[in-house]
This record gives sequence, C-alpha cells and structure tokens, in this order.
Amino acid sequence: MPFRPPSLRGVTPQGRGRYPGYDVLDELKRQDDVTTGMILARLSPNDQLVFFTAAEQAVATPLVDQILGQDGEPKVPVLPMIDARLASGETDGYVYEGMPDDAEAWRRSLAALDADARERFGRGFGELDWADQGDLVAAVQQTEGAWHDLPASRVWSLWTRYACAEFYAHPWAWNEIGFGGPAYPRGYKSTGIDKRENWEVADAAPTDPVTAGQRIEQARAEHERNTRVRPGRQGPPEGNDPPVQGQDS
Amino acid sequence: MRRLSDASIRARNASAWLVPDGQDRTNHRLRADMRRFADDDEVDLVVVGCGAGGATVLQRLARAGCTVVALDAGPFWDPDLDWVSDERGSHRIYWTEPRVISGETPVPLGSNNSGRGVGGSMVHFAGYTPRFHPSDFRTATDDGVGADWPIGYADLKPYYEDIESELPVAGEPWPWGDPHTYPHHAHRLGGNGETFLRAAWAAGIEARVGPVAIPNGRFGNRQHCIYRGFCLQGCKVNAKASPLITHVPDALAHGAEVRAGCMVTRVCVDERTGRATGVEYLRNGVAHVQRARMVAVAGYSIETPRLLLLSASRRFPDGLCNDFGQVGRYLMVQGAPQTSGRFEREVRMYKAPPPEASSEQFYETDPTKPYQRGFSLQTVSPLPITYSEHVTAQGHWGAVLREYMRDYNHWAVFGALCEFLPQYRNSVTLADVEDRHGLPVANFSYSQCDNDEQLVKAAAQTMEEMMRAAGATEVMTIQRYAHLVGGCRMAADERSGVVDADQRTFAVPNLFITDGSVLPTQGSANPALTIMALAARFADRLLATSRGGTPTGARR
Repeated sequence: MPFRPPSLRGVTPQGRGRYPGYDVLDELKRQDDVTTGMILARLSPNDQLVFFTAAEQAVATPLVDQILGQDGEPKVPVLPMIDARLASGETDGYVYEGMPDDAEAWRRSLAALDADARERFGRGFGELDWADQGDLVAAVQQTEGAWHDLPASRVWSLWTRYACAEFYAHPWAWNEIGFGGPAYPRGYKSTGIDKRENWEVADAAPTDPVTAGQRIEQARAEHERNTRVRPGRQGPPEGNDPPVQGQDS
Repeated sequence: MRRLSDASIRARNASAWLVPDGQDRTNHRLRADMRRFADDDEVDLVVVGCGAGGATVLQRLARAGCTVVALDAGPFWDPDLDWVSDERGSHRIYWTEPRVISGETPVPLGSNNSGRGVGGSMVHFAGYTPRFHPSDFRTATDDGVGADWPIGYADLKPYYEDIESELPVAGEPWPWGDPHTYPHHAHRLGGNGETFLRAAWAAGIEARVGPVAIPNGRFGNRQHCIYRGFCLQGCKVNAKASPLITHVPDALAHGAEVRAGCMVTRVCVDERTGRATGVEYLRNGVAHVQRARMVAVAGYSIETPRLLLLSASRRFPDGLCNDFGQVGRYLMVQGAPQTSGRFEREVRMYKAPPPEASSEQFYETDPTKPYQRGFSLQTVSPLPITYSEHVTAQGHWGAVLREYMRDYNHWAVFGALCEFLPQYRNSVTLADVEDRHGLPVANFSYSQCDNDEQLVKAAAQTMEEMMRAAGATEVMTIQRYAHLVGGCRMAADERSGVVDADQRTFAVPNLFITDGSVLPTQGSANPALTIMALAARFADRLLATSRGGTPTGARR
C-alpha cells in the first residue's frame, strides 16, 4: 500500500463492525497487482452517472441505501457502481422469459416505486423521509405476485442482487464483516475453526454481552422503528427465537 | 487404483511439466510457438469449445499425431493477467451472453454453471471430481426412472483412473459406488470442512475428505495449493485443475492449435454426401470457415444444442441431427439446496478451498423412501457476495441484512446435489431474441417433477439435522441449482438420443459430440470428471476405429 491517510484506515460503512482496527487494505502489499488495482478503484468510483437519469437517480439512491441499511456516513458508493454496470450491459447471463432485460427492469421498477410514493404521500420517493421510504420498500418486498406490471419477487431479486454485489465487493464492507479479502500470492496458513492468521482480528463481539440472536433482534427492532414495517416475509415472534425458514422465491 | 508414477503420467500427458516452474503461470513461449492452421487446411478434427470435453479430445488426438484445432468463443486465459483474487471482479470468466430462461422452475445461468474461454467451466468449477456410481448407468432398469446408458461403468472405469491421475485428484479412500482410492492424499481442512466432518459424525453420517482436483503438494511444475479460497474465481496458483493447465499445454506441444475468440455459428454439412465438412465461425466479427475431416462439438449443454439448432438446412429443417426431436432435450440440472448454520466459534469459511469434504451415503435409491435415486452432501463456502444471497433469500434487508452479514465468520455452509431426473420437456430451443452476432439465443426451459421436489426436501432436512447435531444455534436453507448435463444424450438408437455409444451422431457419420450434453443421467455427482473420462474414451474409440490412416496412439 503506497499511501493512505489516517482518516482512511480501518473504515467501515456507518462506522459499524465487530473487528476493531482491522483493515483489509493493510494486506494489499502482499497481493498481486491486477487484483490490487481493481480493489483500490472501488474506493473512488466515477460518480458521473451515465445510465440513470436525474429522476431515476432520485429514486435509486435512497432505494439502494434502504436495501443496504446505509443510513449515514461513511457510505460505500454503491450507486455509481450499479450505474457503470448497467451502462456497460454486464448481466448475470440470463433473463426470465417475459421479463425485460436488467436495464429496462431497473428503469421500470424505479418509475413504479416513484409512482407508489406519489400515490401514497403525494411526493416523489426521493423527497420522503427515511421511514416513509422504508415503508414503501418493505411493501414491495412483501408483495406476492405482480407489482405494477412486473413480478414483485423478480424485482426484489434484481435490486438486492445488484446492491449486494457492489456493497460486499467493497473493502470497507470487508472490514465490517472481518472477511480476509484477496489472497494471492499470500494465501492462508492457519485454516480451521477459531484459527487466525497473525494479521486477522478476532471478532470483538462473538457472544458477549449479547448473543447473536439478540443482536439480530436488536437490528430487527431498529429496522422496524426506522421503516415502521416488520421486515421479512415471515417475521419471527418476539424474543430470541431463530427466524422462521424462508424459501427462495 | 493403479499407482502411477509421475514419470508414467508425464509420458502420456506432460501438461503439468509444460507450465512454467516459477512465478509465471503461463508458458508464453509454448503459446507463441503454437502450430497455426489455415482455414483452407483440411484438419483431421475441428473441436468446438475448449473445455473439459473439447480440450481432453484435443490432447488425446494431438498425441496420436492427428491435426487438430479447437475453436473457443472466449479468451485464451493468462491467470496472471486475466484472473483476480476477487469475487466481484471475476465476472468475465462466466458465459454471460444473453439467454432466456423459462419453465415452472427456471434455472438461472451464468456464474453458477456456464464457463467462458479456454478451460471452460472447469476454470470456475469448485473442484469436486467424484466418479459416477455403477448404478447411474442403468437407472431405468433398476429404479424405473431416468434412462439406461448404452455403456456401463466398466467402460468408463479405466478412463476415470487415467483422468484422476492427470488432474490429479486428492481425497481419502472412497467407500461408495465402486470403492477406489485417489492418487493424492486428502487435503487439510478449513473451518467449514472441520464443521462438516463434525456434523456428519454427530448425525451418524459417513463422510470423507475430497475428492478434489487439487494436487496435494506440487505436481510437475504446478504449485502447491495456498488455501486462498478463490477456487470459483479461477485458480491463479495453477493448483486447481482445469484443462487450461491439465490438457491444453500437452496438446500444444504435440501440434494442436487452440484458436481463441472464435464464435462458431454453424456446422457445415455437405448436402450431397451427408458428411460434415467443417465449421463456420466469427473471429473479430469476420466470418471464416475451417475445413475439417471430422467435427466434434463440445460447447456444453446449452450451446451445443443451440449450435445444432442453428445449423438447420434443407436436409435438417428442424436443426442438425434433429430428425427425431432429440436435440436440446432431456437437459438436466441438479437441485442444490444449501444450508447455513451459526456457530459460536469462528468458522471463517473463506479460508481453504470451498470443496473440502463430502458424503455419498444417500446417493443410491433407498427402498424405504417414497422417492427414487438420491443426493450427495458437500461443503460449499460462499464468499461474501454469494453469502449475501443466503441472507436476502430469507427476506432480510436493511439493518437486518447487515447484522447477519456481520456474523459471516460464524457461519458454516453445506450444499447438496440432488439427482433430478431427465425429462423431455426440459429443453433448449431457439428464442426470438438475438445476440450481438445476430443469432437467436437459447431458451432454456426447466420444470421439476415430483421426485425432484422430494429429493430437495429430503436433502435440506438432512443438512439441517447435521447442522443442529453439530451445535448450530440457527440454520437457514436456500434453494439453488448446480451443473448442466444432457441435451444431446447418448442412446442405443436415434429415436431416443442424438449420439451413439461412441458419441457419433446418428445422423452425420463424421460429427461427434464430446461434452456433458451426451449424459443420459447425472447421478448426484459433480459432472466434470465424467465429462473428461467420456472424452478420453471417445478419443480412444475414434483412434481405434479410424480407417483414415490415422495412427492409433491408444495405450490399450
């Protein structure tokens, strides 16, 4: 790593994370050039959008923040990366019969979400506050069958696939979850349960003071407060029970 | 199995000694010096697609002194420059040209099952190389489902052994199917593999480490695995096997040409003689025809049927070799549910190769169950982006998604492969959408039958029991699919398949299909090893029966 100012060390999205001091970028000095270049480029993507119109950007920006729970700074710049992907026509290699291609599906679903906002709140999606936006996003997620003229489950899968692919490709998100990042030519020598390399950081909150289930319940409650709607197709009962099994749609 | 010394392997396939010994992963000299044929040269064989099936045929025939060219639509990869240690950045190793998916249970294509470039899908396959069981070759007779192959396990066994030594495969002695051992000792485990063995033991299930196509230690000039966990993104180490390093180098050294960036658009057939004369292809947008005495199509289960359908003519109005409506039919995927479990200790499944351990205890038909055939169980170790699909599939998003993902290092993930049955309706046809070449794209239709659904349910239940037995405090199961086979199956006669037992098409005597699309059934094994073994057998049979003055270089 040639140079990184102190303020850019160990960054995690919204300052959340369980691996204090861990920075996957510290290890780039032991990686190959091609991978290193690709990962560093994600720190500063081209924010001059070419695919989304300004009207679509007004809907897509808060939509992607909602899906990824990015409710504050620092944020992983996800939208410019989705824009670049759609502009270049990079797809996953298939389109469902009867569905438009990914680019068209994005445009139509953003217009539909904006229409929902105007119908329910009399204002565009981008003008709503965080909770109202969450309300509308949750409504799409819970829709069975058609939503406007698109299958709701396919739209949901499109949004989450694109958003997660960019977010969990970003080194700040890796810092947050304690992922090791690229590993060539360095590789790993300490594999196995509870084994760590000397540069890996232990999970600071593996169980105590709250169990994983409690943490997820807390996140759920916070999510609910913020979006007013119970997340998940089938929410679990109160308490520490594991979530009900979901089925892939 | 027969114990083969490295010297005896090198004597028939020197690929591992033809990759550079050192920090470079590509033998640039070998590629620069590659023999190059002209379009007008009538080569002995042109191969369409340079993956598991195509590259194996190429190497075998080049060794035997034949003139052979493989055309591949994708690039001739250089792992140093083209592949990255990164999930998101590996997009271009997958075939992502447009395809339409349909049916009651459409199967997503792309990153999960479709390769691109020299090496094919084995560039991104996990690395599992189990054999099929003897029972897989006669499921119609024994179980009343699926189809009987026109060949048996014994026909393939010597080729399984050959390919296992060439890849080579590492694993514990294998107790299932036809019991056998592997040339390399099993690998050490990561957190997910340890969890799998512990879970299997706790649930009373037999499990073994392997079988994976990653040598344990150095093999030739190929480096030792560094347990970096990016097997599905292309192995930058040259440790995990793919034809790019296991068969292509030896083919080049014996005078074969690999012509990359060539999209084959049509198989040419002489209307008068009824014989194939070569293939039409596009290279940098310019149309060419490569003449050949024989043609082998190895484009895998979607592109092989598509190419035959695109090669329709007056004689074959419904597509080449499609007189009996068999082209593109009986395509199969495996049901591949995955179950994740939460453990208090850190699993960190991103360390070590995702393919670690497996169990074939439930592979065969169990007469006490309401369904036929079975499933296998394996470790899968999704990296963060893929793992996020596990979380979003439960309906989680926003703050809850982030909380689950922050817990990533505490989760283990197992996967099953369920033997879905071949059905006529599961097919590739031509869609009314065109790709950038102006050719109709494939429409891949898939619908599960009752037996398929029951198998998926049983497999998911077994994995959840394993997780709980190992002490998981929470489990999540998602539905996925894996692998593609069938679509131009081998059969005893032309009314039930496209090729015969020697993979020769019934309709055109010098046209062959040498990839996974010839499989009549799939077992619950990963198909790569079987595709290569079939290709090696095909080459042997062709050389043994060829009357065109081609030397027979077959060992046996």
